[in-house]
Amino acid sequence: MSSFQIISIAGLLYILAMPLYIVYVLTKNKNLGYVSTVTLSAGALIHIFGFIQRFKEMYEINHSFMRSIPITNLYESLVFFALCIVIGYLFIEWKYKNKSFGVFVSALAGITIGLTDVLGITKEVQPLVPALKSNWLLAHVTLSFIAYAAFAISFITGVLHIIVTADSKKSFKYIFSTAILALMFFVFLSLIIDMATASNPKTVKIFHSTLANPSIVISIISWLFLFALIFVFWKWGNVLSKLLQALKIDENLLEDITYKAIAFGFPIFTIGGLVFGAIWADQAWGRYWGWDPKETWSLITWFVYAFYLHAKFLRGWTGAKLSFIAVVGFIVTIFTYLGVNLFLSGLHSYGSM
Amino acid sequence: MSKLEKWNDKIWNFFASVDLAIALFIVISVAASIGTVIPQQPEPEATIRFFAKFFTIDTAHKLYEIVSLFDLNNVYHSWWFTFLLFMFALNLIVFSLDRLPHLLKSFKTPPQSIPNQVLEKMPIKKELKIKDGSAVLDKVIEILKKQGFRTHSFQTNEGFQLLCKKWSKTRLAVYLTHLSILIILTGALIGTFFGFRGFMNIVEGTSADFVISDQRKSIPLGFQVACDKFEVEYYENSAVPKAYRSYIRIIENGQPVKFNGKETVIIEVNQPFSYKGITFYQASYGFQPTENAEFRFTFIDKNGKETQLKARFEEKFKIPGTSVIASVEDFSPALGIDEQGRLFNMTTEMINPAVLVVFEDGEKKTEQWILKRIPETWDTPYGKLKFNELWGAHFTGLQVRKDPGVPLIYVGSILMCIGLFICLFLRPITYFVTIDKDKVTFYCPSSKGKFVSEKQLDEIINKIKGEKA
Repeated sequence: MSSFQIISIAGLLYILAMPLYIVYVLTKNKNLGYVSTVTLSAGALIHIFGFIQRFKEMYEINHSFMRSIPITNLYESLVFFALCIVIGYLFIEWKYKNKSFGVFVSALAGITIGLTDVLGITKEVQPLVPALKSNWLLAHVTLSFIAYAAFAISFITGVLHIIVTADSKKSFKYIFSTAILALMFFVFLSLIIDMATASNPKTVKIFHSTLANPSIVISIISWLFLFALIFVFWKWGNVLSKLLQALKIDENLLEDITYKAIAFGFPIFTIGGLVFGAIWADQAWGRYWGWDPKETWSLITWFVYAFYLHAKFLRGWTGAKLSFIAVVGFIVTIFTYLGVNLFLSGLHSYGSM
Repeated sequence: MSKLEKWNDKIWNFFASVDLAIALFIVISVAASIGTVIPQQPEPEATIRFFAKFFTIDTAHKLYEIVSLFDLNNVYHSWWFTFLLFMFALNLIVFSLDRLPHLLKSFKTPPQSIPNQVLEKMPIKKELKIKDGSAVLDKVIEILKKQGFRTHSFQTNEGFQLLCKKWSKTRLAVYLTHLSILIILTGALIGTFFGFRGFMNIVEGTSADFVISDQRKSIPLGFQVACDKFEVEYYENSAVPKAYRSYIRIIENGQPVKFNGKETVIIEVNQPFSYKGITFYQASYGFQPTENAEFRFTFIDKNGKETQLKARFEEKFKIPGTSVIASVEDFSPALGIDEQGRLFNMTTEMINPAVLVVFEDGEKKTEQWILKRIPETWDTPYGKLKFNELWGAHFTGLQVRKDPGVPLIYVGSILMCIGLFICLFLRPITYFVTIDKDKVTFYCPSSKGKFVSEKQLDEIINKIKGEKA
């Protein structure tokens, strides 16, 4: 069996874990909680197995351990990202003995893997292009994605934290967090339609089928749909908020996990993303820093999380105000990861479809 | 306080403030992001073309005026961006000078007991009922020491007070991190003033002794760089390149320089080569046929004897052991065969170079395509003619750099990693413990990481209970 089939099975288990976590959260049946954790863990184990399998497939082509880490194109990076999130979450679940946001993590991981199936991203094991042939590949790419996953977890808990602490529908916190969720949902939908309608899978332009459609009518309808979506999320978002409150998710716990994930991700990102990236660039391109869009956006990501840490420790910021920065930080992270490749051209164009 | 001193203080506090740091984080981020959207090219056309996508051409011209006024097409080297980075450095320096002495002083001052009213205001408080206060003291100290705390005990009116600290020196790591950023910025500054970056294109079989810098200036190297050969290696049965490779020799004062006993060095992507502080990187390559370009063949006759042959375009050469005269009449860098069996040229990349060789055996004239990567095409009526390469038609594009600031960048990066890890993973922990006649109370002065602190205190309390039982 090929690695991508194994990984698809893992994705199915993640999607299966999602309703289990929902029912657990609603009924608080301990056995059900146990089953959902087992399902998610089984998914993670199969996922790891698939990852190792792909490693072997890569090794057969590249014959070098350091250069066979399967994180060299969009598909592999998404798969690794999902794996990191799930493992990170399982660790937190075990450490804090709290399963309250498992549903969001299993959904995110399942959708990420499902996305690779729906979008028809190439899953073939590809030989390395010369630019990626370096022993820095392993360290730079692996650590970057571990950091992205940590930031993703901080984003989930950050958004939940803002929703939990929002007191009324008119408060800025509430509008902001529901709008962000609606926007992300819209981008997700748009991406699928863009991929499905693109004549050539290599030249997908995001929003080309929706907001930026050449036909004015479709463009206007898309904009209206976006606003409608934001309204729907705004209108019904308090269901989620009430649910979370009914569950008595401790807001301090959410804030603490948000901080922990960033405190873990930030140094990893600095060393793996920026420092190792700079060393590699120094060896491959003859400069350690060149204001390439990917580099620039990594620096911006770094600044946002530096802002978070300074605001927390030196200005004493707490609560939703601080979680905003975590949310913004992850939006910038996504842009660094995907947006730069989709919108801006530069040297880091390996991650293309 | 005189007016001057007051102003002095104000300015100092401005540069020492965290607010300035946060403001700079935001402003630098926004500025940097502008540079990734607006094309960073000096030619006005690039900018106007970019804006014309969204606005009318007149507006695009007007926007270009604004762009050029603020150097928005060269953000990262503009005066104001440099100024922002300078402010950032100044902020870091003044901030550290402002706070570091206080911190160092606090390490030296002996700890003191704290009045109960202050303790009661602390955000975390945990209690444990006990029977005999005086007997518990030593046990509590022992347990805390096992957990890695340093303890100071004081006798107070109510009983005992303990101050326990762990990893308090890690507060210094913040300053290490800040110092590392300054080192990196210094390294970057040195690189800008004392280094250069440039480019050189060398055609196979020729040499060059100067670099064209990014500012389009010619910089003499003081030695010759000769390219003997350039090759692109492809994955088998595929047009995906596997490696780009330049075979280079350094010639100084007319003498070839030897490296580990060899004259030829190989430069590949990810495998640069350094000489006298100047580093050469494989950056690009190109196809540029010259008069000197020659086709190189290996001829294998019917007895298996191999002969190396070479010829220029349309130059006649003899097939060894026969009376046949051959010549290369056509060349294709990437010959492919379409569905109808016709030959066509796929790209200008030399994916599968092929030559059309004309054989003249007396009156008889035959012609045949020989493809480098398809051995079946090497068979001719006179023996095997293997096409090796077209030599002298490629140029190798080398990125050349001299940057004396790089060692500082590396030192700064390492220090930054160490500093960040200490600051974020080994956070200082402080607890206050009071022991009265009938209870032990734990206080934590900080609510940061409240969840973990509480867990840790519970653990300590359980241990005390355990010891008691």
